[in-house]
Amino acid sequence: PSGALSSLPFLQLVSALHNLTRHVVYHGLTRAEDILSLFPENFHQNLKNLLTKIILENISAWRNEAQASQISLPRLVDMDWRVDIKTSSDSISRMAVPTCLLQLKIQEDVALCGNSPVVSALTVELSKETLDTMLEGLGRIRDQLSAVANK
Amino acid sequence: VSSQQFSALTEVLFRFLTEPKEVERFLTQLSDFAAMNKISLGPLKNIVKSILLVPNGALKRNLSSEQVRADFIALGLSEEKASYFAEQWKVNSPTLTRLAVGQTLMINQLIDMEWRFGVTAGSSELEKVGSIFLQLKLVIKKGSQMENVYIELTLPQFYSFLHEMERVKTSLESFS
Repeated sequence: PSGALSSLPFLQLVSALHNLTRHVVYHGLTRAEDILSLFPENFHQNLKNLLTKIILENISAWRNEAQASQISLPRLVDMDWRVDIKTSSDSISRMAVPTCLLQLKIQEDVALCGNSPVVSALTVELSKETLDTMLEGLGRIRDQLSAVANK
Repeated sequence: VSSQQFSALTEVLFRFLTEPKEVERFLTQLSDFAAMNKISLGPLKNIVKSILLVPNGALKRNLSSEQVRADFIALGLSEEKASYFAEQWKVNSPTLTRLAVGQTLMINQLIDMEWRFGVTAGSSELEKVGSIFLQLKLVIKKGSQMENVYIELTLPQFYSFLHEMERVKTSLESFS
């Protein structure tokens, strides 16, 4: 549909609304009064209230989305594992060594990928010793987190 | 070769087999042996090469010390020397087996893990954030090269990950 939707005033309107909502989200405004005070003095009263109401309803969704799409290191999105038993190899014909295969699904920085996020799968093998060491490390992380939470 | 010389040589051989990285030391000990016993190094090296094939083959085929002894006798070694070698083999085989297992193919082996966690204070879209994240650095051996992989986890993800890894540990332990 052409006409009104592509006219300059409409685009200015969309841009203004966008700026308003971004401002609210950025500063974390949560009270109606704070949002209402952003509008100019002679702004249409009912429209002002309606817009404020709509913005308040959407704030937490917008904040969550902003947090989800901020720049970051690649993020873990999923993980899978299985345990295999190695029974023989070219250097030894008989053994029974359990080993773990861990698959991590990693999503590249959302901010870089935009709407088509790139997810890669990394498969890592861990021996029992490696796993024990890793668990020790993870345990320490958990203790550090509890210490911070209890402060 | 006298039996005394043979035991000395066997000792050198097994020391090398149990510590295969000590190549320099092995070669030094071999030339010392050659000098002490007035044997030339070249032929000695060839003999040693053939002798070393026996324990390696034995590991691959999971031979008992009896079978190792029989192999050596078939190769022309005296009964006494063959028995001595087989004995040494029996004593050393747990170590040798462990080494062979350790050499077994591993896919993308996890070598090391480092972490840090912190708080996101703010961003270009949110003035104040205050969310905690965990950043892991995994050092992975891909073929012959090391690769660093960086991943970020939220706290709930971290707790799931820890829980899953504990389940893996239980599973691995039930098979050992």
